[in-house]
Amino acid sequence: MPEGYLPLFLFLIVAMIFPVVALGFAKLLRPSLPSGAKLEAYECGIKAASNARGRYTVRFYIVAILFVIFDVETIFLFPWAVRNQALGWFGVAEIAVFLLILIVGYVWAYRKGAFEWV
Amino acid sequence: MPANLFPAPVEIFRFLPEIILALGGTLIMVLEALTGDRQPKNALGHVSLAALFAALVAAVAVHGSPGPAFSSMLLVDGFATFFRVVVIAVGILTVFSSYRYLSREGANTGEYYALVLFSVAGQGVMVTANELIMIFIGLEISSIATYVMAGLLRDDARANESALKYFLLGSFATAFLLYGIAFLYGATGTTNLTAIRETVLRADGPSPLLLGLAAALMLVGFGFKISSAPFQMWAPDVYQGAPTPVTAFMSAGPKAAAFAIFLRVFVTIFEPIGDRWEPIIWVFALASMTIGNFAALTQSNVKRMLAYSSIAHAGYVLVALCARSDIGTAAAMFYLAAYALMNVGAFAVVAYICGKGEKYVGIDDLAGLGSRRPAVAAALTIFLCSLIGVPLTGGFFGKFYIFKAALESKLIWLTVLGLLNSAVAAYYYLRMLVVMYMREPGEATENLEPLPAGLRTALFTSAAGVLLLGIFPSRILEFAVQSAKLFGR
Amino acid sequence: MSFLGWFLLTPLAAFLLLLLLPREQEKTIRVAALALSLAIFGLSLGLLAGEPRETDLAWIPELNIRYHVAVDGLSIWLILLTTLLTPISILISWKYIDRRVKEFHAFLLLLEFGVLGVFAAMDLFLFYVYWEVGLVPMYFLIGIWGHDRRIYAAVKFFLYTMAASVLMLASIIYVYQRAGTFDYPAILAMLASGKLTFTSLEQTLLFLAFFVAFAVKVPLFPLHTWLPDAHVEAPTAGSVMLASVLLKLGTYGILRFCLPMFPTAARENAGWIAVLAIVGIVYGALVAMVQPNVKKLVAYSSVSHLGFVILGIFSFNQQGFDGAVYQMLNHGVSTGALFMLVGYLYERRHSLEIQDYGGVSTPAPWLSTVFLITTLASIGLPTLNNFVGEFLVLQGAAQADFRWAVFAATGVILSACYMLWMYQRTFYGETPEKVTHQMTDLNGREWAAILPLLALMVWMGTAAETFLPRISAANRLILQQTTVNVPFNVQTPAPRPDVAAKEIADAR
Repeated sequence: MPEGYLPLFLFLIVAMIFPVVALGFAKLLRPSLPSGAKLEAYECGIKAASNARGRYTVRFYIVAILFVIFDVETIFLFPWAVRNQALGWFGVAEIAVFLLILIVGYVWAYRKGAFEWV
Repeated sequence: MPANLFPAPVEIFRFLPEIILALGGTLIMVLEALTGDRQPKNALGHVSLAALFAALVAAVAVHGSPGPAFSSMLLVDGFATFFRVVVIAVGILTVFSSYRYLSREGANTGEYYALVLFSVAGQGVMVTANELIMIFIGLEISSIATYVMAGLLRDDARANESALKYFLLGSFATAFLLYGIAFLYGATGTTNLTAIRETVLRADGPSPLLLGLAAALMLVGFGFKISSAPFQMWAPDVYQGAPTPVTAFMSAGPKAAAFAIFLRVFVTIFEPIGDRWEPIIWVFALASMTIGNFAALTQSNVKRMLAYSSIAHAGYVLVALCARSDIGTAAAMFYLAAYALMNVGAFAVVAYICGKGEKYVGIDDLAGLGSRRPAVAAALTIFLCSLIGVPLTGGFFGKFYIFKAALESKLIWLTVLGLLNSAVAAYYYLRMLVVMYMREPGEATENLEPLPAGLRTALFTSAAGVLLLGIFPSRILEFAVQSAKLFGR
Repeated sequence: MSFLGWFLLTPLAAFLLLLLLPREQEKTIRVAALALSLAIFGLSLGLLAGEPRETDLAWIPELNIRYHVAVDGLSIWLILLTTLLTPISILISWKYIDRRVKEFHAFLLLLEFGVLGVFAAMDLFLFYVYWEVGLVPMYFLIGIWGHDRRIYAAVKFFLYTMAASVLMLASIIYVYQRAGTFDYPAILAMLASGKLTFTSLEQTLLFLAFFVAFAVKVPLFPLHTWLPDAHVEAPTAGSVMLASVLLKLGTYGILRFCLPMFPTAARENAGWIAVLAIVGIVYGALVAMVQPNVKKLVAYSSVSHLGFVILGIFSFNQQGFDGAVYQMLNHGVSTGALFMLVGYLYERRHSLEIQDYGGVSTPAPWLSTVFLITTLASIGLPTLNNFVGEFLVLQGAAQADFRWAVFAATGVILSACYMLWMYQRTFYGETPEKVTHQMTDLNGREWAAILPLLALMVWMGTAAETFLPRISAANRLILQQTTVNVPFNVQTPAPRPDVAAKEIADAR
């Protein structure tokens, strides 16, 4: 069985060698002229207003979590839609259970005030 | 093909306890959301109790129709039923001992009761799982709920530390477990325990090296979950910081469930390479007992002391696993049942004493309990005697049975060292008895409220259970022995 | 279940009954405890007559653990001693114990339950259960109602006994593994028929595990250090129960279990054990002599007296065994009485230091008289009980090895020295002001408590044939069991039926 892993192993080796070689050559070939402007964050040429690691309100986390729950989880609907014919009523029942759980979560989040910005 | 995708009714029936628990938890969350924040939340606790009792009845009823469910992902056998009953009972006792504590801390929310149900449901999945992925899913359901419970008191720095530590180390451990599962799947091409065992036993089975690697990784994962040395370091901090009823819960329920899957995996699929892992478990067992007991000697905080003692007790159960026999498995089962009862009981007493903000959790704060609250003191005495291993308590009989199994498997040194360890342990449990009965009453016991009904139920039920297991162990023992035999060999 | 089976549960029933009484009604609790324990004593007398004295019921069938209890000549008198001393202990605590009265009496009855069980258990598992059950109440008796250093003493007592007995548990499981049963008569039968044999190494290790557990309880020098602490700190009733009953658990265990199960190892190790016993006799006596504390003096005298018992057992002959068992009873009666009398003194003067006394005989003549009789009994004066036991032990020891008897006999002489010297300093001489002031003579309750023991001292000293025949019969069996399947030549002559009669004649 280990022979089956050989291509993977070779790929690993190549992947490790490649950046070393590429960066090494670049280092040897390029001129070295350091300046402060080169270290700044580049955003369409506009000057940076503040540090990128500023603090922002914790409410964004809730938004992020809600996004994960209600947007990303609908991805699970996709495979069902593709195999709808083959799965038949079983698929419908399963997806109904899934949606029910999601709706309960929605009601709960709504009642708990997760959607209110204040 | 689509037609037989539908599970047979009996398969759904076999999963009934977990369905009840999950629906109960969901119901509580919806109810709380609908009733708003003004309502008293004890009613939600009652709902969770109803769900737990229904699940208990279901678990016993399901035992009448054993067998696999959902394409053999779950397996209901005596072993599963035994642990199902244990984890559900732990859930019931936890809820009973939580009411007062939560309202005192101003945290009597519906989420707590829902989380208990979800966690127990996860443990139910763990103990019935016959498949590595199901084991993992059950473990995650149980663990995530427990992480949140540990951090329930959001404004308490210690609880936050506890929750974060528990979460980080728990996830770390789960990663190891998952890595082990991946290796096992790679080696055998299946995740079903029965199928893996068949593959392992075949002459052209997977290489012992790969199997050993998987076993080692899973051992690390399980070792964390059961808080055995050398993976015990998280337990004292987490147990100390978490709210006391939660500590009671996580030192008993998730631990018993983790031991259940530990036993199931190691005694079935890794049994053929038993010679390899037995010495490792031997060392783990001895180290757990010794580190737990000797570290507990110097503690002054009751919760921390009980945390170390729970490490030591994990060591005793590992002795049973080390025996690698059906008797050993049965002994581990019996011991875990007794341990769950006595530990939940002891923590329930702490939950009663500790006062608002867990002010009184030092051993010295027990002073005068014997004269001020004789009934509570008597119950705690029973739990401590059981933890020491005094006859006529469940702890003694469990320990006896474990060391009997160990001697049967010729583990003479481990038995001798384990028994000496239990004599060391007597010292720190005695300290609590000394303070309780022989010291002048102190501040903590002065203004104790009358024993709340829920706590009383939890205390006396577990005390009665401990005595029952010690005096008339026959029925439960018989059940454990039979269930252990059903097991893969 | 026969009479015995029920009888052994009566102290537990009494314990539970007492727990139901309201804690404020102390008088009721005392009366109830006394009445219950007297009733138990009355019932125990029925054991002398009733046959069959055995109960054998399944308890935990999965492991073949049985509720198997039986009474024979070895245990009957120890059981009676226990049931007699429990009501006496309650009587002497009437005034002395003034707080947590309910718990005190409950623990006393629980202790009785455990001790009676140890003496009757015929199943090794059951034996261990009772053995440990007796430990817990004694721990509380010392720890709650004791003197200043009570916590230290209680914890020391518990840990010593616990640490020693866990290895016994391991050995019990090991024996079970080999024999397939915990049932003691069955194990003995298998040993006798050769169905079950232990290798020499096994025997030695198992013997030592059992022996150490018992020797701590006895206590045998050098494992005795918990005893003076426990005795001095315990309340009077605790000291009485400890000295009279709990110490006997150890010697009883050696005779009942160690010898018949592991005869070869027992005989091989008899030499150094006997030497330790003699060291204990002499050492206990010498240390007792220099004690300024009267309770500690009596405690060390116990170490000395129990040395005789061990010596008698490891003489391996009929006289030695009989003397050992008789000495167990004697020690229970006379040392128990001594502790009671010391307790009486303490209740009056609130001191245990000998130098705080002196001339007590003037204000309290009856107390002094009773104390003197007990002292003389403890020394071993003929016509009083200890004489018979010590004589038999010395006779047995002389048969085994004459030097043992010579050294052990010095213990008898030393005991006269320290006891009489203590008596003289306490009861004679100048009577200090305070003693005159505080000393009163015995009252009715105190008389009632001490009289049965005084009567027993005289009875056991003059009419040993009441007790000895049953003891000898049981010991003959044990002696026989220690001679079967023993590889090397046993010198003991075969026991003859007329031996018991001859001993009684000798003793008198």
